[in-house]
Amino acid sequence: MGDKVSPIAALSDASRAWGEIAERSEKPHWGMVVDQERCIGCWSCAIICKSENDLPLGMWWNRILTEGDALDQPIQVRGGALEMHWLPLACQHCENAPCVKVCPVQATYHRDDGLVMQDNDRCIGCRYCMIACPYGVRNFNWGAPSRPTAHETGMVASRPVGTVEKCTLCVHRLVEDQVPSCVWSCPTGARVFGDLNDPNGRAATLIREREGYELLEEAGTKPSVQYLPPRRRNEL
Amino acid sequence: MSATAMPAGTAAAGTAAGTAAGRSRGRRALAVWVGVLLVIMAAGAVAFVHQYNTGLIVTGMRNTVMWGQYILFFMFFVGLSAGGLIVASAGRLFGVRAFRPITRLAVLEATVAVVLAAVFILPDLGRPERMLNIFLHANLTSPMIWDITIVIIYMAMSAFYVWLYARADLARRGSWLAFGTGTSERTMAREERVKGAMAWVALPAAIMLHSITAWIFGLQISRGFWYSSIMAPLFIASALVSGLGLVILLALVLRRLGRLHFGNDLVALLGGLLGTFIAVEGFLVLAEYLTASYPGAAEGDAFARMLVGPYAPLFWFEIGVGLLVPFVILAIRRLRLNPAWVAIAAGIGIVGIFVHRLNLVLNGLSYANIQLPPGLPIGTDQGGVSSFATRYWYVPTLVEWLIVVGVLAFGALLFTIAVIALPMQEPDAH
Repeated sequence: MGDKVSPIAALSDASRAWGEIAERSEKPHWGMVVDQERCIGCWSCAIICKSENDLPLGMWWNRILTEGDALDQPIQVRGGALEMHWLPLACQHCENAPCVKVCPVQATYHRDDGLVMQDNDRCIGCRYCMIACPYGVRNFNWGAPSRPTAHETGMVASRPVGTVEKCTLCVHRLVEDQVPSCVWSCPTGARVFGDLNDPNGRAATLIREREGYELLEEAGTKPSVQYLPPRRRNEL
Repeated sequence: MSATAMPAGTAAAGTAAGTAAGRSRGRRALAVWVGVLLVIMAAGAVAFVHQYNTGLIVTGMRNTVMWGQYILFFMFFVGLSAGGLIVASAGRLFGVRAFRPITRLAVLEATVAVVLAAVFILPDLGRPERMLNIFLHANLTSPMIWDITIVIIYMAMSAFYVWLYARADLARRGSWLAFGTGTSERTMAREERVKGAMAWVALPAAIMLHSITAWIFGLQISRGFWYSSIMAPLFIASALVSGLGLVILLALVLRRLGRLHFGNDLVALLGGLLGTFIAVEGFLVLAEYLTASYPGAAEGDAFARMLVGPYAPLFWFEIGVGLLVPFVILAIRRLRLNPAWVAIAAGIGIVGIFVHRLNLVLNGLSYANIQLPPGLPIGTDQGGVSSFATRYWYVPTLVEWLIVVGVLAFGALLFTIAVIALPMQEPDAH
């Protein structure tokens, strides 16, 4: 998928600085920390992902799950108190990625910086990667894209029918030293993008100090996305 | 010897082959049969072109249940193929001379079935025109690459096997299909040695073929319902039931058409073997489901869903009708001695295995792995309704049915041509 002309160059200095990747080591491993304590379930990140990456109707690379049985409903915890938490979910860019292992044609592959990528010019559309992915974050292009507008949106070319696509961690922004769109657009700063190889970086520090956890750890996928569990606030 | 002495082209002439009127009636029946198959194949081809132009949106599959009928038929036909060849080569390997009359049929059935299995992969691909990437960029850690490799090896091997058994008869007829080989004593002795060696290769190849197909599913930790070491043995057991079942049915049809001669004692023997295979299948199914259900874990566990969910009737059909009924029929000696009852049991057994595999695919995929609302995106515009789902009930569409039936018709045509062109009877069976 060829990149469109990036408008990032046209941003004001302040906007550029807002989305700038803060720290990186010699050999970065990109990852993301999602703070469930800060997430308010507003879906901003999911919506901007759709426009940034030109996702047609019915397709989502990023979505916000509600913990519990019902959408945007609180759960009753032990002792009777009510809590409400969200689980923003997109590709986990696993180190031990099941999708990379099963793809028969190596259309899904690892970059040196830890990103799991999808080559839509090579993908044969067998959907084995969707079988293998425990997180259900991969989307298939079932038919011609259906859009609410007559034109395409976003910063990257749309993907062809009959191939699989998923979150790229906004790789087209990374080359401009900018964080993924879901990160800068989060109104509560619940997402922290960073270099997991940098032990003193903000992402690695948060994971360490807040006891970050991996989603479906038992699957052994070693995700590059980690979650910070919400701490109980007894005073509320 | 009567069958092999018959000129090619009168295969469907039936038992009335002796009279000229019977021959012409047979020719007409064959023409109608081939005509019907060609029409169905044409319909399937039209459906495939439509699907190719529109995308897989014309199927019932979506992001939640991303594999459906095509994969189901792929693994079903891999099973039919492996089962047929295991029976044929095991019979040879262990010197079960009684199986000889059906050896050629079993080998032919295995060959046609594996060809169909390979064809069924095509409509499942979103970009079938990029299929060559499988060879250009093969990823050796993918079970799908392992499977395609063994399918290709197996296909070549079973085609050679078919030819090997027909070779001497073809040479005697002077057919070019004998590829210049003769029937001298030395050649015949060598043929026997090659046949014996082939059985040694074919049996493990058939077992590997179906084990690897099982591992496409069974190695995926993301699908708890499939992630089990029993998948390969279970697939082999299923293959034996469906493969032998189909060989029995085809043998009885060919006997009726006068192309194959064997006694009812062989039918009873095969029926007894089929009953044993069904018992093994039932045992493995029980072992798997008991292990899965005993902890009584999450209420959302796949096994509980299978017992009470919308697909529950299919599960109870699998157990009740698919396994129990044919087993009871075949366990009763009096019924086993009657070819009609053996045929009924074989037919039900095949359907039962098909439903078993249907259950495997549906229950493995219907529920999203992370059961938190709103679930995962279906992948297509739902016209104002939520495009998310935590569960999805897959139902194949007309397009999927037309393509599947078209491929089946292609298989029937292939089999018909082979039966007409190749001598089916092993010479010393009588």
